[in-house]
Amino acid sequence: MAVTQRARTYGDLVVDDPREFRVHGSIYTDPQVFQEEMDRIFEGTWVYVGHESELPAPGDYKTVLVGRQPLIVARHEDGRIYALYNRCRHRGAVVCREERGHSNFFRCRYHNWVYANNGALIGMAQASGYPEDLDRSRYGLVPAARLASYRGLLFVNLSPTGPSLEEHLEPVRKYVDYWFGRSPSERIQVILPPHRYEYPGNWKLQAENGFDGYHGNYVHLSWQRVLQLSKESTVEEVQQYRQEGCVRGLRNGHGLLERPGSLNPASSWTARMMHRYPEYAEAMRKRFDDAQLMEISARRNIFVFPNLYLFDTHIRVIVPKAVDRTEVQLYVYALEDVPEAINRSRYRGHERFYGPAGFGAPDDIEVFTEVQTGLAATGDPWNLLHRGQHRERVVDGEVIGHTTDEAPQRSFYREWKRVMSQA
Amino acid sequence: MLSVAEAEQFLVAEARLLDERRFEEWEALFTEDGVYWVPMDPARDPTDSVSIIYDDRKRLHERVYRLTKTPVLDQNPPSRTIRLVANVEVEPGDGPGEQRVRCNQLIAEMRPGGPGQAGLNSPRWLAARCEYRLRRVDGRWRIAWKKVVLLDSDQAQYNLSFIP
Repeated sequence: MAVTQRARTYGDLVVDDPREFRVHGSIYTDPQVFQEEMDRIFEGTWVYVGHESELPAPGDYKTVLVGRQPLIVARHEDGRIYALYNRCRHRGAVVCREERGHSNFFRCRYHNWVYANNGALIGMAQASGYPEDLDRSRYGLVPAARLASYRGLLFVNLSPTGPSLEEHLEPVRKYVDYWFGRSPSERIQVILPPHRYEYPGNWKLQAENGFDGYHGNYVHLSWQRVLQLSKESTVEEVQQYRQEGCVRGLRNGHGLLERPGSLNPASSWTARMMHRYPEYAEAMRKRFDDAQLMEISARRNIFVFPNLYLFDTHIRVIVPKAVDRTEVQLYVYALEDVPEAINRSRYRGHERFYGPAGFGAPDDIEVFTEVQTGLAATGDPWNLLHRGQHRERVVDGEVIGHTTDEAPQRSFYREWKRVMSQA
Repeated sequence: MLSVAEAEQFLVAEARLLDERRFEEWEALFTEDGVYWVPMDPARDPTDSVSIIYDDRKRLHERVYRLTKTPVLDQNPPSRTIRLVANVEVEPGDGPGEQRVRCNQLIAEMRPGGPGQAGLNSPRWLAARCEYRLRRVDGRWRIAWKKVVLLDSDQAQYNLSFIP
């Protein structure tokens, strides 16, 4: 189908051709596409908003943007977490301006309407201006249509209809479970504050890159040279490692890049830590058998559609700000019940590669800006994502490809197309 | 004890090394146990939290090596910087031959490129409160500890790999 500068329907912008899967450049540059993505994807499907360990005590809260909309996520004295629209029911001012904090109520500063942190309207200034029988229960902060947790990972859906969180996560759930398994109690603790970086490019450039196994040897050559300098591994060894494992394109737009698991300390981080710290090995062996340890020790970058990545050191959240402006937040976490030295070395290892001054992430950011600039050239407006299409295989509903192939990107855009072309 | 004028002379010379991208000479200003810290939240213990930069001397050497000896994308084209050093204060040090120094810095940074290139061509300004612990080693002042707290240290940053 011929597609002109502005497509007739959003579905036309992703061409699921069995030999040449491609996407139209306007999906990264057209402000109208961005607004539609906010409506349909970020304000209409399950979106990650934080981890429960960020709000350990009643009264703890954080504020987030879900798509374009400001929300408060707060833990009430009943122990439950509430997601509330950050908008006074009276005249529309936000009732909270902080990024995070601790408070049992939120007060609108305009006319002193006060709400409990579960949203209930407590009162307002000069209440005699309203009838005595005013039904306050009608004027609480509006809750998000749906809030659900998977093992502490909190998701909000502003739409009351569509799949449950359980249904949405089903294709990726076992990988998320393995990810938690590097802690012998299968629990994590988010370390604040997060790394935050912002780049002049579209949000999907980050989504496409986190499970991209093709770019590493080129974009991160300087990183490989640093590893060689420190005698950790030669450039050749890292380049060989980057050929191992696979990518998986999953249903519902999820996907991952996977390096093989191993019980050999020379071949996986988990096995190396178990070798170095006997108490960690003991706790892990008590909890898991060898087959489970093989899976847990596989290093995976796990993408959960549309805005979440689970990495070995951090939880990555993609925050679209405009069609050509994106913030990325990296929430480093501690693995619970492991030796302190393991977590400290994870933090230092994270800083070394990630964040705005790491030895790897800035190279990725640089490439995103190069793509965003290049997309302004529309001689041929299509981007190709057909690498490995001829050699991928389908096993149990997963599309599995060579580690440098674009199978997960195709899964991502199939879901993008499905959500964007819904009536 | 350093005078304010002497401290300022030291800080301006350090800023010049960075502005002229003489990174190896800059690295040599640090003591063997030197630390370079760019926190997100300066109130947190850097060992148990995450910083923008928390370099010991080995990590600092890797940083300089990466900038000067490897095909680094994010500093190609390289940053131009102009640093203004002001509000210099001197305080007693933590031991013999040591000296604490504070200053504010305004860093203008820009990377040049072709027309329309996202991320290039527009200067940006970073404001920072800096703290130093200087130590006298073999008759020279060296940096034992440098902390750079950006005005927007807890906000989203574009690449900071030029060494803020």
